[in-house]
Amino acid sequence: MGITITTKINGHSVTATADASTSLLEFLRDTLEMKGSKLCCNTGECGACTVIYNGKPINSCVTMAADANGAEITTIEGLADGDKLHPVQQAFIDTGAVQCGYCTPGFIMSVKALFDRTKKPTAQDIEEAISGNICRCTGYNKIVDAIQLAARKV
Amino acid sequence: MAKAEFKIIGSSPARIGGVERVVGKGVYGIDLMLKDQLHGAILRSQYAHAKILSVDTSEAKKIPGVHAVVTAEDAPNVRYGRSYIDRHILARGKVRFMGDPVAAVAAESPGIARQALKKIKVVYEPLPVVIDPEEATKPHAPVLHEDMPLPKTIPADAGIKNVCGHMIVRVGDAEKAMAEADVVVEEAYETKMIHPQYLEPRIAAAQMEPNGRLTVWANAQAPFPVRQEVAKTLGLPLNNVRVISAGLGGGFGGKGSGITSGAAIEPICGLLAIKAKRPVMIVLDKAEETISTTIRAGAKMYIKTGVKKDGTIVARTGKVYYDAGGYSGFGVQAGGRCTNMLGGWYLMPNCHIEGYTVYTNKQVCGPVRGPGGPQAAFAVESHMDSIAAKLGMDPAEFRLKNIPKAGDKIVGVPKLRDVSLGETIKIAKEKIGWGTVKLQKNQGIGIATGSWIESAGPGGGAIVKVNEDGSVTVHIGKIDMGTIPGFGIPLIVAEELGVPVSDVTVVNVDTDASPWDAGTVGSRGILVSGTASRRAAIDARNQIFKMAASKLEASPEDLEIVDKQIRVRGTPAKSVGLAAIATDAHNVIGEVIGRGYCDNLELMAEEKAHGSSQPFTTHACIVEVNPDTGNIKILKYVAVHDIGQPIHKAAVEGQIEGAAAMSIGQALCEQVVFDQNGRTLNPSFVDYLMPTINMMPRIETTLVEGYPGAGPYGAKGAGEIACVPPMACIANAIFNATGVRIYKLPLSPENVLRGLKAAGKA
Repeated sequence: MGITITTKINGHSVTATADASTSLLEFLRDTLEMKGSKLCCNTGECGACTVIYNGKPINSCVTMAADANGAEITTIEGLADGDKLHPVQQAFIDTGAVQCGYCTPGFIMSVKALFDRTKKPTAQDIEEAISGNICRCTGYNKIVDAIQLAARKV
Repeated sequence: MAKAEFKIIGSSPARIGGVERVVGKGVYGIDLMLKDQLHGAILRSQYAHAKILSVDTSEAKKIPGVHAVVTAEDAPNVRYGRSYIDRHILARGKVRFMGDPVAAVAAESPGIARQALKKIKVVYEPLPVVIDPEEATKPHAPVLHEDMPLPKTIPADAGIKNVCGHMIVRVGDAEKAMAEADVVVEEAYETKMIHPQYLEPRIAAAQMEPNGRLTVWANAQAPFPVRQEVAKTLGLPLNNVRVISAGLGGGFGGKGSGITSGAAIEPICGLLAIKAKRPVMIVLDKAEETISTTIRAGAKMYIKTGVKKDGTIVARTGKVYYDAGGYSGFGVQAGGRCTNMLGGWYLMPNCHIEGYTVYTNKQVCGPVRGPGGPQAAFAVESHMDSIAAKLGMDPAEFRLKNIPKAGDKIVGVPKLRDVSLGETIKIAKEKIGWGTVKLQKNQGIGIATGSWIESAGPGGGAIVKVNEDGSVTVHIGKIDMGTIPGFGIPLIVAEELGVPVSDVTVVNVDTDASPWDAGTVGSRGILVSGTASRRAAIDARNQIFKMAASKLEASPEDLEIVDKQIRVRGTPAKSVGLAAIATDAHNVIGEVIGRGYCDNLELMAEEKAHGSSQPFTTHACIVEVNPDTGNIKILKYVAVHDIGQPIHKAAVEGQIEGAAAMSIGQALCEQVVFDQNGRTLNPSFVDYLMPTINMMPRIETTLVEGYPGAGPYGAKGAGEIACVPPMACIANAIFNATGVRIYKLPLSPENVLRGLKAAGKA
């Protein structure tokens, strides 16, 4: 059974229909063909699908698309300003934090949400902010480096 | 080799392919969308061991929107495998683990596909299940493969079953030397199965082309073996199969063994596309992936060592039961490697180890990040500390007493060229504060070393094309999963051709266009494709110099390329642009195309003549043990590595830190858990625990220089070796803190507490 969802994604109003059981992640990836948010565990454990929903980072795989109705959503596709990368995006590249890169969009969204809360995060803030994101490539060293580098630039 | 000789090698410029990854462009297999594609899904066995009495697909086929339903009957009766050819793409007559593919469907939507799977009626006759690899060898165990023979080295009357790999390591006379030893220590260690849990789910997409060729998109680490095995299992000529590598969201060897890795997802997808006459894409659910795809196998290891009072090792004996799972997979190779490495990487004059790779009713063993090595090292390096304790020696000193030097042999390696092991131990001691750091109550310090293989294995080629603007396009056979195509290769080509790194494009593997390659496995990326790319770039440069020489009225030997300008050395004003020469080539040879190879015979001859320059490492850590909960907190962790000359420094550090993290995960929490029926109890990420930032210490990496390897500029592979020491390193720190030795992984609160209680310490 299709439902109509009207939402604001990366500043643009979007209306589309989807099955009532569609997750927000499926809505983004399959309905809107925005492939930046990543599918992984589908149980809200790994953070690869993290988007910012009304100002807060959430796992879009365990959020219903219907809940996006009337909401404001920021995805990884909405961070760069044209060709100019967001400082967090640039820092992930500069520190070598992007290995396979599959977890990267989710991490970047969690970090973006962190910087929206505070411009001067402590080590504890950083750990908390990304504790819901799993990276299998880096051992987290270079991700922490990226966040600290970005903190000097945002 | 002095660092100053290099322009770019050893630095850490931005990864090629970084921007598309941070802005969320669809670069991965899972982001594919073929026009008119159907959704494929696979029906998997609900028994770990059963006869298939019948499969009825008639109801599934009636569902509107279902375009194809396939079983073993729809595919050629052809088996695949690596050394033991023991497996069909869809189970035929029998299933051997829960997750074994039985049937597959292609439908208009994932929902319809799932619905169709439920309508396939399979009648099973359950058979007894065996989970433990040692039990599986015993006379009362059920037989998994009735028609597979035992390895020829096992006598028919040995009373052993279910063995698909047998490795015997024999050096000197271990039994005699053991009898004469002053001190003998005998122990048994066990590691459990872990899943590599790369974040991108496995996918396959397939499409029949109008010309009768089958195109397959795969996020596989070994596209050429996938091509060969898809052709074989579907009965297609090899040249009618094209495999295109989609970007990989991680692999860690879990996507590295041809179609074995994904339990034949690629040929199954191809079969569906052929039957449905539509493109088909399959995306595995993560829980489905955990139960069906290849894993790092568990091993049971018996180890016994004889030493002199002064700490000199004189003999080792041992036995390995390496778990292959339901099919041989990569088990024979990994089990053999584990058996070899149980002999250690210290001086070992006498050694006798028997290793058995054994079928059990579980997921199949793959070449996951250091296949066999981390398992063996957990036993070897924990055991080294137990021996040191019995001798009353400092564990680090005991190791240093037994390290080989240049020209010595170790088990499995006839001659070492140079040996960094001792230096890595000394540096690790210094970095961790061995003997100087003041430990608090319940804190302990641990050390463990490791090594990994270097040269033997398939070769590979590279093609370096210089475009008319002076940019460079490189074709290699290795795929990009955060490894060399985005990091090391552009640096090597830029170094040799005097172009900016950002001017180098490394093309994704397409079996129609790329040089053949065995797969992005075995820490061989930099060795194989790095060597080949360097030589191809030099070949291209020679062609360019030949063309530029007449223009500059100079000899080709006197030329150099700096910033895309070809100059006469010493007379930089005499120059011509690389772009101009590459453009001129259009009217001469068409295009500057450099070719290069990594020749395995050449590498082996070099190694035979001068010895192996394999990498060594030492890790050290400080942990705190909570005696009430058994919880382990790692307070400090250092990783000291000799990987020869680093090509892309940050990439090398990233490989080391990531590999260490994976084994720290296996040390502290990771394992695939089974019930007695062979059902995986923790398939999803909700229950399968992996390290998050909260659990991970900052890994302090040190690269040791001065021991050049067999790779380009003296590089060595760096992708796997950091997986080798962590488990024993942490176990040794726990031993240091508590006096309790834990013999079985993981070192979870539950197991640690059990160990403390058994020793009367909790």
